[in-house]
Amino acid sequence: MFMAKEDKKQDQATQVAIGEAVGTVAAQSIGEPGTQMILRTFHYAGIESTIATSGLPRIVELVDAKKKPTTPLTYTYLNDNIKNNFEKATDMTKRINEVYLADVAKRVVESFSKGTITIVLNRQEVEANDLTAKQIASKIEKAFNLDTTVEDRRITVNVHTKDLRKIRSTTTKLYESVVSGVEGAGKAVIRQDKKTQEFYVVSAGSALEPIMELEGVDKSRIYSNDIFAMYRVFGVEAARNSLIKELKQTLQEEQGISISDRHLMLLADAMTMSGMIKSVGRHGLSGEKNSVFARAAYEETVKHLINAAAFGETDPMKGVTENILVGKQIPLGTGAVRLTVKKEDLAKLKPKKSKD
Amino acid sequence: MAVKREHELVPAHEIMSENEVKKLMQEMGVQTYNLPKILVTDPQAVKLGAKTGQILKIHRKDGENEYPYYRYVVED
Repeated sequence: MFMAKEDKKQDQATQVAIGEAVGTVAAQSIGEPGTQMILRTFHYAGIESTIATSGLPRIVELVDAKKKPTTPLTYTYLNDNIKNNFEKATDMTKRINEVYLADVAKRVVESFSKGTITIVLNRQEVEANDLTAKQIASKIEKAFNLDTTVEDRRITVNVHTKDLRKIRSTTTKLYESVVSGVEGAGKAVIRQDKKTQEFYVVSAGSALEPIMELEGVDKSRIYSNDIFAMYRVFGVEAARNSLIKELKQTLQEEQGISISDRHLMLLADAMTMSGMIKSVGRHGLSGEKNSVFARAAYEETVKHLINAAAFGETDPMKGVTENILVGKQIPLGTGAVRLTVKKEDLAKLKPKKSKD
Repeated sequence: MAVKREHELVPAHEIMSENEVKKLMQEMGVQTYNLPKILVTDPQAVKLGAKTGQILKIHRKDGENEYPYYRYVVED
């Protein structure tokens, strides 16, 4: 492979020596600028209705491998032929935007004597979401398997029973039923990329699978800040990459802290080492170390020592922590190399005569 | 769920042949189980039809450069 002379020099200069404590360096490189991070989040006025968690809380969330982020967001990009079309993009936003019956209903009246529930729709809301009473009625019919009759903006649902409790529970379920959009997608907003001028949809949920089934969605670019959603749909490697992407975005773009990518890559690699996403800390990486002493030195000392004693664990003494603990040389840097002498060579050695 | 088109965040995965694995293990001086892992149920492993015990070679990209990464397929 061709490489310019200067590039080669640079390449050699950035290579890591054997025995270098890369993990410690990475931890300090992330930790030190972390102390300067601003806890305060910026508030944008206007269209940006969804404010994502940022700063230190977000970093903690990522490193702790939280199953559900506080503010899950999904970025849906469109196929090349429609990505610059505002109307098509708006249409996509409407198809994703999750609307509950409670959002479009003005009031819901139950009739216990007839066994029906009448939904009076709010005309403005219905029109704003590009819906018709008929569409809503058919959605309800499908979801609840009940008969409905539509009359202007009134939908009458026949519950086929006069049991008070059943009618009431159906009403509550009706309120929460999704009449339009993708279930679990949340509120969707249209946005325009400043650089490429293309339109994309941001929704406040992490339901990737149903969105990917929609026509016109670019499946190769859909992205969620929910690492576990990415893991579920695309696998560990995608999870690793989005973890790096999220960390980098939080640190560099929002806080103006620049950390070498290598450190973040090491962190993400360590977290996805087992094929799953493990948190850094007691319940994840640190809690699953091989050495009893290393675990005991971190947290819950007594628990680990008692368990080790009860199950007869052995400690291979190969790590750093346990060797510091017992006062041995640590296997890092010059301590990582051992000296061995061949037996034949040993025989050749002649003892020196001492002078005194 | 199977993904039809490649995602920009997913590097190419590939199942390694036994000979390749043998050679690699000799080169690196490690055992297969020492490598980072990937679950058999992982979408990418399912897509390739990988079995437990095999090794997946992942063609990761780092800017312009490409470098290999290896993952050992393990039971869920």
